[in-house]
Order: sequence, then C-alpha cells, then structure tokens
Amino acid sequence: MAAFEEANDPIEPVNRAIFAFNQGVDKAVIKPVAQVYRGILPEAVRDSVRNFMRNLRAPLIFANDLLQGEPDRAMETFGRFAANTLWGLGGLFEIVPDKPHHEEDLGQTLAVWGAGEGPYLVLPIIGPSSVRHTFGRVGDYFMDPINYWANHQGEDWIPITRTVVTGIDSRSRVIETLDEIERTSIDFYAAIRSLYRQQRADLIRNGAPGEDSPLPDISIDFEDDENQEKTSALKEG
Amino acid sequence: MTHRFSPLFAALLLTVVAFTPAPSHAAGDAKGFVKSLADQALSVLADNSLSNGDREKAFRSLFVGHFDVRALSRFALGRYWRRANKNQRSEYQRLFADFIVASYAARLNEYSGETITIKSTRETGRKGEVFVQSMIDRPGGQSIRVDWRVRDKNDKLAIIDVVVEGVSMAITQRDEFSSVIANAGGQVDSLIDRLREKVDASQ
Repeated sequence: MAAFEEANDPIEPVNRAIFAFNQGVDKAVIKPVAQVYRGILPEAVRDSVRNFMRNLRAPLIFANDLLQGEPDRAMETFGRFAANTLWGLGGLFEIVPDKPHHEEDLGQTLAVWGAGEGPYLVLPIIGPSSVRHTFGRVGDYFMDPINYWANHQGEDWIPITRTVVTGIDSRSRVIETLDEIERTSIDFYAAIRSLYRQQRADLIRNGAPGEDSPLPDISIDFEDDENQEKTSALKEG
Repeated sequence: MTHRFSPLFAALLLTVVAFTPAPSHAAGDAKGFVKSLADQALSVLADNSLSNGDREKAFRSLFVGHFDVRALSRFALGRYWRRANKNQRSEYQRLFADFIVASYAARLNEYSGETITIKSTRETGRKGEVFVQSMIDRPGGQSIRVDWRVRDKNDKLAIIDVVVEGVSMAITQRDEFSSVIANAGGQVDSLIDRLREKVDASQ
C-alpha cells in the first residue's frame, strides 16, 4: 500500500487555536465587511479594485517570474503591467484579457529553487501558511518596490491598505465557497489544511500536471485485501 | 441565485449531479464517458420540472453509476482501512455514499448556466487510467479547470477522482477523514459517528 503523507503539522494544537481565533474574527468582522463590500459595489467596480491591486503587484510578480527562470511569463507580466497602467487608467481596467493574470510570490520561487515546504502554520488573520510561505511573505514585503517607496516616504498606510483591501476583495469572492466547505466538512480545519496545500502545490507548478508527485493509488483492488487477510490469518493460525 | 456559483462546488456538482441509466459506451472511451455524464448532469440541473427529491434521487444514481464508490471510500479511509473490522467497513461504506449525496444535494437547485468543454486526455502514469481534461465555464466568471480520473477495469469505466484546479477530491477526503480518526486516538468509530451525524442532520 502507498505510503501516506503525514499531516506535517507538528504544532497542530496551536494552529487549531489560531484557526478558531481566525474563524471568530472572520465571523465578526471580515466576512460581514466582505458581504457589505459585495452588496454595495457593483461587480464592475469590484473587478476594478481587484485589477488595480493586482497591477500593483505586477513588479513583484515580474521579479519572481525571473527568479524562477520563466522569461516568457515575465514578459507576459511586463506587457500586462505596461498596457494596464498606461491604457487601463493605472490598472483599473484589463487591457489584455487574452493573457490572464497569473500569481507568483517568493514562497513559490523558494519552492522552485528546491526549498522544502516546512510544517503547516496558521497565521493570525492571514490564515493557512507554511514555514516556506511565511518566509516568502516577509521577503515579498521587502522586495516590493511600492512598499519600499511608501516606507521611504513615510507613507506607512499604503502597504497596510493594500493588504486590507486585497483581503476584503478576495474574501468577498469566496463567501459561498467557504460556507459550502464548512457546511460539508466533518473537520473544517483539516479540510482547509488539505485544500491550502493542494492549491499551493498547483500554483507552484503553474497549473501543470504534478509529474514529480506520484498519483495516489485509488483503485486498490479489494481482492488484494481479502488475500492478505487470508494470508495473515494463516500465519496467525 | 444571484451570486456566482463557487468553483469547487460547481465542479463537484457537475461530477456528482446525477441521474438515470448510464448510457452504453465503447470501452476505453473515457472522453465520451465523461462527456455523457456531464451532459446528463446539466440536463438534470436545467430541468425545472424536477422536484428537489427527484433531483436528489437522480444525483445519487448518477454518482453511484459513474463513480467507483467502493474504491473512493476505501481510499478516503487511508491506512485506517486495515484497522477497520468487517462491520465498521460496511457501515462506513454505506455512510460514505450518503455523505457525498447529502453534502451536495442541498445545492442542486442553484444551477446558473455552467457549461462544460471536454478537452483532451492525459496519461496518469498508471495502467488502465487516464485523466480527461475539461473546462467548466460560468457565465461572467473565470473558467475552472477540472480533470476527471477515469479507470478502465474489465471494460467498465468508472471515475475514481475529480481534480478541480489542482485540488483532488479523493486526497481532500482522505486528509480530512484521517485527521478525524487521528484526533480520536485512531478510533475508526469516531469517523463513522461524525459521518452519521452529518447524514442525519441533512435529512
């Protein structure tokens, strides 16, 4: 039988406590704000919010494309950034919709370079993460030219506002999805941990099939099972 | 419903929304198998004359008819399958199908115009198995990448996993189920109890 991945969650009790805290904050503040945001702003405006925030991330994504040795994707990011900034009113509108936005971050770059994921972490407010992803987040913050500029100008509100606005917009797009997962799961924490890891792995592979990770053996035959039981019964007998 | 369908849910729904007799198909025609499943699913979803109960029934028979439920349930139990005794196994397998149906049945009436395009097939690296790649398009939303893992065993096709944007339904279930059992000191009964609670709560 295939070896089963361990949960790689050595501080699970701590993570579960932070997860519970995050759920409380989400129910009390984040989700209601996201609902109001979605309720009062038309979709076109919310899409512009997302476009603008994504466009601000473009220099960082460009750098990570390059660091991952993906010049084609870097050029895509550069072309989108130039077009959306110049003709899309500073990034409010998507000018090149045939080249869809793609995400990159330093955590993904570290993974491409071969760094292990490290144990699972739940960060306060931010949510599911890993040791590698957390390092990447910190690095991204300092690599980001807009944050760098803002901090030098003494405009500390800019990075914070970016994080908050991006967070609310993202949350507003998964209200039903998360409700559904919570409703249908029997261990919400474990479900989110599994989904986070799989989505992250997919992002790192840029959506390509997972060639390096062998597929789990789902079609185990029951006959094998029964034979083994017979064998062990014989041995015991 | 005015909100957009959640991608994960939409995909699972399309996989699982179900119905009546599986059409006959040539062995090995995994693409055709998935396509016919999807078409039937969409026609059931779009059929306003069906009652909620009818849809749930159709949903169940589609799921049971197109998925290898035994293999899925066994895989989801992971290494605890070996520890489970005969009674636990049969009770667990019964609840597993009910759990899947109960999980999604409540949302069967919220279809909002999704369509599916079957792309190509891709080797899984395992004998007798392929991935059928597809895209689900939502009106006004981004398309969702869905891969169906289809197995051909003794000339009978069956779906053994659905991978939505890189997220495998089978792996997610296994991780979740293992966590429940591990946190209960390795007691398989703890999982069976939780599944029963979920199934009962939905009725």
